[in-house]
Amino acid sequence: MTERPFTLDPVEWAAWLPTVDAATATPEQLAALDKSPASARTSPYFLTLAHDVEALAQRSPLFNAVMYASGGLPRAERELATVAVSYINGCVYCASVHARRFSELTKKPEIIQRLYDEGLGTALEPRHRAIVDYAEKLTRAPDAATGADLAALRAAGLTDPEIVDLTHAIAMFAWANRLMLTLGEPVDAIRSGE
Amino acid sequence: MTASTDVIDALAGIEPGSPTAALRERRPDFVRYTQGSHDVLLAPADPAGVSLAERALIALRVATIERSDALADHYRAQLRAVLGDGDAPAVGTPRLQAVLDHVERVTTAPRTATKAHLDDLRTHGLSPRDIVTIAQLVAFVSYQVRVAVGLRLLAEEARA
Repeated sequence: MTERPFTLDPVEWAAWLPTVDAATATPEQLAALDKSPASARTSPYFLTLAHDVEALAQRSPLFNAVMYASGGLPRAERELATVAVSYINGCVYCASVHARRFSELTKKPEIIQRLYDEGLGTALEPRHRAIVDYAEKLTRAPDAATGADLAALRAAGLTDPEIVDLTHAIAMFAWANRLMLTLGEPVDAIRSGE
Repeated sequence: MTASTDVIDALAGIEPGSPTAALRERRPDFVRYTQGSHDVLLAPADPAGVSLAERALIALRVATIERSDALADHYRAQLRAVLGDGDAPAVGTPRLQAVLDHVERVTTAPRTATKAHLDDLRTHGLSPRDIVTIAQLVAFVSYQVRVAVGLRLLAEEARA
């Protein structure tokens, strides 16, 4: 268990398992890594996931679609949802990455900083409030979600396609946080930036 | 494995041609790779050190912990289908107990996982690949539960 604080600064991640060596990886592993972010061939996280190449080859295009597909829920709001999920699950690394993406997109790092300082109940604009509330409900107690939770999203102005995107972003971080938290740990960044 | 059935549609009660089906069609990659992840985690081309029965059992355990009756039924049926081939998981062995303890930890309290837990799995004969597979499977079902809930709410509302 980590006592490391949530941060907007870059954090790195160290693997607990021996990682795949990109120099000796199979063609299938290289193909799956190349569907992942550009840094995947040197990333301990992706070089860990490359051990199960079939799973990585499906997951990377899914992750990319959920976080980056055009239209639908604005990207910054997907990032906000993933920060809320990562905060609840305790994934300091994931929260750092996506807090910085949210801040780059909105130019408002103070929103995440306040969420870190005051918790999920911090004052938020109505759309952000509804997104964070739904992220909390689906993360902590998916079996307790009801039509009232959808109504709250609609009242804040979210459309049906946006709700589909939000649901997938929240769910994707139930997945991402569990990989990041159970296959390695955050470590201090050696260099700043990515 | 019934590859022609979309598991999320079945779990969420999404009928072909319904408004919720149309919503899903907006995002074909979500549909394709969610189903694809399910298929390669439950029925991979090469299961390596985690048998098909163990995979179905792990997924059933996650669905049960997450209190998703529909998903638990799905994986119970999957387990029965696999056991029809006579490939029963060795229930009660230290190896399977260590795996199921880890499954529960990754599902309910992933932040409490440590390197020592992975080292323990390795002493039971699990390879790095097997440990990654188990993490992917647990994390995928955690994702699948939440997607199914959100889409089921939309489908129920559209029918109301």
